[in-house]
Amino acid sequence: MAISGRVPLLLLLGLVAVVLRPQAGTVWMWLLGVLALVTLDRLLTPSPALASISRRPAGSVRLGDPASSELVVAATGRTLHLHVRDAWQPSAGARDNRFRLRLAAGDQRRLTTPLLPRRRGDLRADGVTVRSWGPLGLVARQRTYAVPGSVRALPPFDSRKHLPSRLARLRDLDGRAAVRVRGQGTEFDSLREYVRGDDVRSIDWRASARNTHVVVRTWQPERDRRVVLVLDTSRTSAGRVARAAGEAETDGMPRLDAAMDSALLLAALASRAGDRIDFVAGDRRVRARQRLHGARDVAARLQEQMTDLDPVLAEADWDLLAGAVQGFGRQRALVVLLTALEPSAIADGLLPVLPVLTRHHRVVIASVRDPELSRMAALGDEVGAAAPTADEVYAAAAASHELHRRERTRAMLVRLGVDVVDADAGELPPALADHYLALKAQGLL
Amino acid sequence: MTPPTSPPTTPATTPATRWRLSRTRVVVVAGIVLALVVAVWTTRGAEEYPGVADPRNPGPEGAQALARVLDDQGVDVTIARSADAFEEAQVDGATTVVVSGTDQLAASTLERMRRHAAGAARIVLVEPDYALVQEIDPGLGQLGVSADEDDAVRAHCPDGVAGVDLDGLRIEVDSATSYNGEGCFPRGERALVRTVGGLVLLGAGQALTNDQITRADNAALGLRLLGQDPRLVWYVPDATDAVSDDAVTIGTLLPDWIGPALWILALAGIALLLWRVRRLGPLSTEPLPVVVRAVETASSRGRMYRRSGDRAHAARALRGAARSDIARRLRLDRGAPTQVVVEAAARHLGAPAETVAALLDDHRMPPATDQDLVRLAQDLARLRREVRRS
Repeated sequence: MAISGRVPLLLLLGLVAVVLRPQAGTVWMWLLGVLALVTLDRLLTPSPALASISRRPAGSVRLGDPASSELVVAATGRTLHLHVRDAWQPSAGARDNRFRLRLAAGDQRRLTTPLLPRRRGDLRADGVTVRSWGPLGLVARQRTYAVPGSVRALPPFDSRKHLPSRLARLRDLDGRAAVRVRGQGTEFDSLREYVRGDDVRSIDWRASARNTHVVVRTWQPERDRRVVLVLDTSRTSAGRVARAAGEAETDGMPRLDAAMDSALLLAALASRAGDRIDFVAGDRRVRARQRLHGARDVAARLQEQMTDLDPVLAEADWDLLAGAVQGFGRQRALVVLLTALEPSAIADGLLPVLPVLTRHHRVVIASVRDPELSRMAALGDEVGAAAPTADEVYAAAAASHELHRRERTRAMLVRLGVDVVDADAGELPPALADHYLALKAQGLL
Repeated sequence: MTPPTSPPTTPATTPATRWRLSRTRVVVVAGIVLALVVAVWTTRGAEEYPGVADPRNPGPEGAQALARVLDDQGVDVTIARSADAFEEAQVDGATTVVVSGTDQLAASTLERMRRHAAGAARIVLVEPDYALVQEIDPGLGQLGVSADEDDAVRAHCPDGVAGVDLDGLRIEVDSATSYNGEGCFPRGERALVRTVGGLVLLGAGQALTNDQITRADNAALGLRLLGQDPRLVWYVPDATDAVSDDAVTIGTLLPDWIGPALWILALAGIALLLWRVRRLGPLSTEPLPVVVRAVETASSRGRMYRRSGDRAHAARALRGAARSDIARRLRLDRGAPTQVVVEAAARHLGAPAETVAALLDDHRMPPATDQDLVRLAQDLARLRREVRRS
């Protein structure tokens, strides 16, 4: 039960009565009168259960784009005067989710709650609270019903702005005379007339002999290679980093989200280049695993897969993940490990299984760098900075030590034949895409 | 572009529904007005007044019983509730004047009353307070008496008071006021009833109240004092009649509805609380994911160094970082030994090798205090800046 603002107003009207008849009895009589009205209204109030509520599915939307959820409220039996609140978990960003409506018996009304998801994943509705007001508008009966619903916020894929420029470079690779490398990796495309600037080594003498012109062979970049994206969702992916150096870390995102962005860009690019993409994500367990070849919109399907992945506070089981990679097939592939260059995690988990992977595949480690660490180490490096405190100096020492260990880990990985792409969160997707294009140009896939 | 459409299930607000809405409002307003009118109308004839010893107060403190009985006995009771009403009342030699609620009587209204009632058979003041007694006779003190000593007080006045024979009566009240000097119902040097300047001061006002009039001979006292003459003018003074320079208490200035109004306000406040405190549904909760600052481990390791005072380790880390930075700037091999880096840096900057080595060499004395460590960090930063600039 709830009362409305009319009850205190009605009580205040008692001031008039008290002025006309200034006695304690007037107060009690007035209070009794108001209570009688309230009781009468309560008796006449229809039950909120007379309103039947159903929800239409909200669907999925890219993080940062607006969505909306629709409730259909119908009155059964009696005219209802309702106050409805459609509650969502706070990160669903439900605004204007309170409605006042009057429904005649048998009527129904559609209520639209605008949503603006602020977090990736399945965001759930919390319950629908219905307040049914009495005919005098003094008293309401209130009840909360569970009307399940959710909106799916997909990873935002912010890096798709880099896609057109990378696709243009991919087209440049296409049909170009293979000047640097021939043989493995590049495939014969066609013959055409020699023009100035073509490498003389690509002249096909046999074809030229049959022709009046000099003819060169052209090549196209290799197609139908395999790319395996391995997304690490273990404890190192939970760290929040700034997007770029100089930005506040609170405006940043978890490493996992940056890695997802990189994976999406690479998948979109590789699928256009005609490669086949497999995706696996996991920590102690394999959380997601999918073959994506043949799919029309690879990025969209990958977004769907990534939506409900969250960082887990556990070490990654690289044996398991490497097994999942091998499970996609023995054919040579480009294996992209999206993890953090965290010396202890790499040394304990990844190093023992790397030889297995490098024997069969080309391995690239893409790591999200934390600009904050470099900033801590570069203590007062700018001219005119204030003198550091002892705390800052110790922190700088710790950060320098950490950077040093990372450098050693990186060097060790390179010695093992692994490519390492280490960049800030905002820079990693284009850097990884460029690395892929470079490998493709050299026919190293 | 599609034109914005309203939801199809929304019923249009027809004049009929609007009329029904306004009718509900009219009903509510009419109900309130009716309640007010009924409340005022039903209590119109039977006004009640809350004053002590008021002739229209049926409560324990009122004196309605006495007024009714006097009326039944054939006494013509006239009630005057303001100075003007009192002056309109007929007062002659066959009239008794009684003044209750004397705390509302100021000097000017007392004077007006005495002037108008000069021809009355007697004037009875019910429990005049100290200020009023001083106004009548400055030599007249007053003292409160409570009932705990013995239960009844005898009259002991064969002469009577203002021509009324009170001898042989016993009165009994919870508390009373006694006045200096001789009179009836003596209490030591003082008396509960006495006459001063043609005024009868009745200290035992409670003897007239509905609650206590049946005790001892209280009723007889009231009837004899007030019922001697065929006319009785009962004057209940009103403080608002006093001229402005009279001293009055703040209680007499406040309107009498202020107390009930405060109650109403308090009740409205409680209702306001009940209205606002009820939420429309429970709070929504958020399942929070695990997110930590990525640099948290490095910064907490820094705090650990500081707590353990491991300056040697910290200095080694800082020197190593500076060495590799300088080596990269000077295009040296990544793993170049300390000696090579020191010599290259000294040559590049034109500085003595010894000072550069003091900064970069791990084998020098580690800093002894935190202050030294801070200085070392600053020097290293300066060295790196110089190498970068030149």
